[in-house]
Amino acid sequence: MNRKVLLIGLGICLPVLLVLGFGFRHDPQIVESPLIGQPAPSFRLADLDGNIVDLEELRGTPVVINFWATYCVPCWVEHPLLMEGARRWQGDIHFLGVIFQDDPNLIAQFNAENGTWGPSLIDEGGRVAIAYGVYGPPETFFIDRDGTIVDKAIGAVTPEQLLDVANRLLASPAEATG
Amino acid sequence: MTSALGQGFVLLGLIAAGFGTAFGYIAGVRRSAAGLRLTRRLALLFAVAMVGACAVMWYALLSHDFSVSYVAQVGSLATPLHITIFSLWSSLEGSILFWGLILGLYIAAAAIFQRRGHEDYLAYTLATLLGIGAFFTFLIASVADPFAPTPPPVPVDGPGPNPLLQNHLLMAVHPPMLYLGYVGMSVPFAMAVAALLRGQLGATWLRPMRRWLLVPTSFLTAGIMLGGWWSYEVLGWGGYWAWDPVENASFLPWLTGIAALHSGVVQQRRGTLKAWTVILIMITFLLTILGTFLTRSGVVNSVHSFTQSPIGPVFLGFLALCAAAVVVLLALRIDTLVSEPSNERLVSREGAFLLNNLLFVSLMFTVLVGTIYPIVAESLRGVKVSVGEPYFNRMAVPLFAGLLMLMGVGPALPWGGSDPKLVRRALLRPLPAAAVGLALALLFGGRSAPVLIVSAFAGFALWVTADQGLRPVRARRRREGGKGPLASLLVAPDRLGAYVVHFGVVVTFVAIAVSSTFQREAEATLRAGETLRLGGYEMTFRGAELVQEPHLDRHQAEVEVSSNGRSRGVLYPSLNIYPNQREPIGTPAVRTTAGHDLYLTLMNVGGDGSIGLRAIRTPLVAWIWIGVVIMVAGTALCLIPTAAERRAAAADTVPDLAPSPAGGGR
Repeated sequence: MNRKVLLIGLGICLPVLLVLGFGFRHDPQIVESPLIGQPAPSFRLADLDGNIVDLEELRGTPVVINFWATYCVPCWVEHPLLMEGARRWQGDIHFLGVIFQDDPNLIAQFNAENGTWGPSLIDEGGRVAIAYGVYGPPETFFIDRDGTIVDKAIGAVTPEQLLDVANRLLASPAEATG
Repeated sequence: MTSALGQGFVLLGLIAAGFGTAFGYIAGVRRSAAGLRLTRRLALLFAVAMVGACAVMWYALLSHDFSVSYVAQVGSLATPLHITIFSLWSSLEGSILFWGLILGLYIAAAAIFQRRGHEDYLAYTLATLLGIGAFFTFLIASVADPFAPTPPPVPVDGPGPNPLLQNHLLMAVHPPMLYLGYVGMSVPFAMAVAALLRGQLGATWLRPMRRWLLVPTSFLTAGIMLGGWWSYEVLGWGGYWAWDPVENASFLPWLTGIAALHSGVVQQRRGTLKAWTVILIMITFLLTILGTFLTRSGVVNSVHSFTQSPIGPVFLGFLALCAAAVVVLLALRIDTLVSEPSNERLVSREGAFLLNNLLFVSLMFTVLVGTIYPIVAESLRGVKVSVGEPYFNRMAVPLFAGLLMLMGVGPALPWGGSDPKLVRRALLRPLPAAAVGLALALLFGGRSAPVLIVSAFAGFALWVTADQGLRPVRARRRREGGKGPLASLLVAPDRLGAYVVHFGVVVTFVAIAVSSTFQREAEATLRAGETLRLGGYEMTFRGAELVQEPHLDRHQAEVEVSSNGRSRGVLYPSLNIYPNQREPIGTPAVRTTAGHDLYLTLMNVGGDGSIGLRAIRTPLVAWIWIGVVIMVAGTALCLIPTAAERRAAAADTVPDLAPSPAGGGR
């Protein structure tokens, strides 16, 4: 047994393997949102029918904001889940869709074919998307009764994730000030 | 049905590989001829199973059988036929299956071509290869099963492969070349394991090993070059190498593979560096697994990375297992590989080879550290960093310059470095060539130190390469005998090939130095009829049109190019919009000449019909690819058997047939 070789070999391989193992704890594609724990940027947007939605007015009820577009495949994937969620928590959680760089006519057509889970808000110039630091669709922000962003999902929301966050949102009572 | 057939083939491969590994090691320990025969049959069976599995997948892809999950994932009715064929390796599961196919072919080739002349080692070699095969078939059968049935309802159409892979035909050849390189490194690795287990390392090991190392190294060279070329022709940023983690991943084994090739030369000539060669080969293999892991686990961010998947941890486990096996095996057996005593001076051919190895290994560590540092930083400090070009360029460029210098100095030096006077003369003679290189660089406006240094070293290296490469011709002419000069070159094709490779390296080095230093670019928003000027070119925008194809919409700009008042044709840079992608993907248009490239990218298309156009003029780009083609051609020359080997083959004499005593060295 050549101890020198053994020690040098382990000395090089072990740290590299450990580092690579640690690498699994992070997804390099995720850009952490500094907004988590912060008040949600407010907005007043019109939906496809011209009805105005004001985030401030929804205070007191948890809100799920989903930035989406018809050209994004994960958005199609999560569509049925959001439909189901909006139905299950009707009245308890507001589901809002914000159109991310897409043609409202295409969105209307998509909604007509696949159903809707909430208003599709027209974000002129992408100002709201910029305020929320959206990198690309779909991104979903979860906002509690006090208007604080408690979590964010990048890519299609999974059922487990939605259930988990929804339970957290519904569990926290509104502060007396609201 | 198709799913079951494919899974059946994979299972057959797994069984053949599993039993082959066991029987191979037993046959190796017992030196049993019957056991070796059985192992060889299992190796061939493994290859057949892999060919079968891939054939089934191709059939499923071509018949748009969306009940197979991989087809549902990458297939699409609108995708053209040839892209459907390539989509076998366009996504994670398929690429692992394709990997299995290549491994199967390599194993079959080793079983067939090393039937004679390598018997001492072959059982262990095949057992090790089949062990690797067992891992990959296990992956295909479990976490990366491309044949898994699609959960119902089976879709009637799929999204098609990643658009970047549909953009250019180079995508058809770049991944297979890299796989041929990566997977091929398994063969020298298996031979190194065999040498350690046998406790000996003689000529019947070294000669085949060098050949089996040369082949994948050459494929890697070609694969890396094709990747750079693809990136240049497709991605539209005007460059060909970005020190992206996955590019680095292919670069790492290439560096150590070349180091091993060179240390093998010393071993052949002087009988030294045996253990070192084995270590380098083993590192090379580990680096190919590391590279595959980096690409497929999603731990690094890269244009290449596949999505995160359960395959990552399994792969890391395999890497850890291989690393542990390598370290323990080396620790246990390395002392059995006794080198001949050496007492050489540093200023000798051997010294240059040693320094060469040192530089290659330093380069490898430099690149490795830069590649995994982002993961370290994120694990320890939770910050996102990316190690960019400045680090790599600052660290790697001097090392490469050192290698270029050695390529001139090394072959000029005599073996053993005995007589200082001889050494001095050998080093002084090429100096005029270095001066010519320097003068040429100055003449063409080179002022920066890297360009001047590279030019001088390149001149020196070119002279020495030509001098050494043509030496047999001059020797023959002096003796005035027999065959023509060409025949005399082919007496030792491996020697000639080596110098041809060196020549290609010089060409590529110079082209890289010049093209990265003298690049010029201009950018403008143009309306129809307006002109952008750059480096003597006038580029007039004639208009843009929207071309609709079944699987994409393409904005295509018509740009008329002229220089010196003469038309140089029309270029069509375009922006492709794929229905299921977030961002449009640009396709640059390139006008290549021997002296420089004109590279046009369409940045955007405005609603008013104007375009954003970026033009880059880069000198000598084409010579980067030409240099690599020369390298690959040189490698092919190296693979031609030498006159001595041809004679031996004709006489059908196989040296070292009888088992030699363990620990015998050579």
